[in-house]
Amino acid sequence: MKNVALLFNGVWSHYVFATAPKYRDIYQLVYVHDLTDAHLAGMRALVIPFQSNQAAIAERKDVIYRFLAAGNTVFVEGDSRPDWIDAQWEDRPVNNYWWVENPNNPPVADTDFQHPLFHGLRPRHACWHTHGAYTRIPSEARVVQRNGDGEIVSWETNHYGGCLFATTLDGIVEQGVQQITHLDNFCDNLTQWLSGVRPAPERMTIDPEAYGITAIS
Amino acid sequence: MLTVVVVHNGIHELELMFQPTEAATYTFVPTGPGFPERLAAGLANADALLVPNGSDHVAMLDAKDVVREFLDAGKAVLCFDGWFTAWIPCNHWQMDNSRRTIEVRYQIGTAPHNLLDGVNIDELIFNHGISGWWACGYITPAANADVLLTDTWGRAMVVLDEATTPGRMILTSSGPLADFSYDGNNAHAIARLFRNFLAYLSQSKANHEERSIAV
Repeated sequence: MKNVALLFNGVWSHYVFATAPKYRDIYQLVYVHDLTDAHLAGMRALVIPFQSNQAAIAERKDVIYRFLAAGNTVFVEGDSRPDWIDAQWEDRPVNNYWWVENPNNPPVADTDFQHPLFHGLRPRHACWHTHGAYTRIPSEARVVQRNGDGEIVSWETNHYGGCLFATTLDGIVEQGVQQITHLDNFCDNLTQWLSGVRPAPERMTIDPEAYGITAIS
Repeated sequence: MLTVVVVHNGIHELELMFQPTEAATYTFVPTGPGFPERLAAGLANADALLVPNGSDHVAMLDAKDVVREFLDAGKAVLCFDGWFTAWIPCNHWQMDNSRRTIEVRYQIGTAPHNLLDGVNIDELIFNHGISGWWACGYITPAANADVLLTDTWGRAMVVLDEATTPGRMILTSSGPLADFSYDGNNAHAIARLFRNFLAYLSQSKANHEERSIAV
């Protein structure tokens, strides 16, 4: 049963992830321009991936905070804007090749591996690259990951009811892109934390029938 | 000078990748409610429609008829993003992860109109020595379309389709292109290939205008 909503602005990597056989029974694509309370009814969590439409999200932030107030989880990846989240995200150069040129110096230096998102992961599975850093987070929030300069990569707060977790990682997009081959570890942890269901451990596959479609269901 | 309409999906700093040059000016059409009508209005005086990496293919499916009308008028559509919905006539994009990125190499297929001149193919294959960074999946091209680049397994990565409609479609298998370079080097293959496409479209436009004057 699908119980995690994946906010979707028509980006292909989001679609690849949500339609993959391993995840498609858990994640429900919700088109951002259609988002209402009704789309989130019965969901345990809402995922807002990297490459989202930040302006469209800001217009519908009341839906998101009502969902949080009901005790649900909202998981935000990549960039965000302070007009819908009480934090300041800033861009930073993306390092995709640290593991070739400087493998002992990954972009994330500190991770709370007791957090269910990261529990049991190896350090390299908990970070592939980051898209920026948070220079301000809510005063009551807890830091979960920092980069080598001490900047905040991941944080969470229960101030709004349920858990609001934000990270500059981009696991959903990169798992959709499929150029990094170890992301099942992170995405399976994420899925289990959000949905209560651990996907099959095999590497993600793709259903060719999901492409060239003439309507979005 | 080309007038290019770029689909804007609210992606951070997209405008930086499409700054005006001597070759082209860019206007941005945002996705969201009313997109097909907004796109049709934006294309009224445009030479090309550009769908960049990170675009909204739900919105593009809604605007499928607008795109077809634009192509039927002899204009150009450039898509550098995985189109999982069927809004591009007769050309199909398929995501695939059954091949190892470490084995990805590109070969030149047909190279009409000097479109690959000055393009270092190795720069599309490797980034800091890592292969398979640029394109994703593969294209099943329309009949009679030109395949400019293929991958290790002979699958289409870059397609020029001048056969399906009176217009031109330039398609990558989600490989991003812009007049911009990720390493600050304006001679990088992604910038050169993009500029070659613009130059070809400019020349085609000039030829068309000359013929119109002659008639």
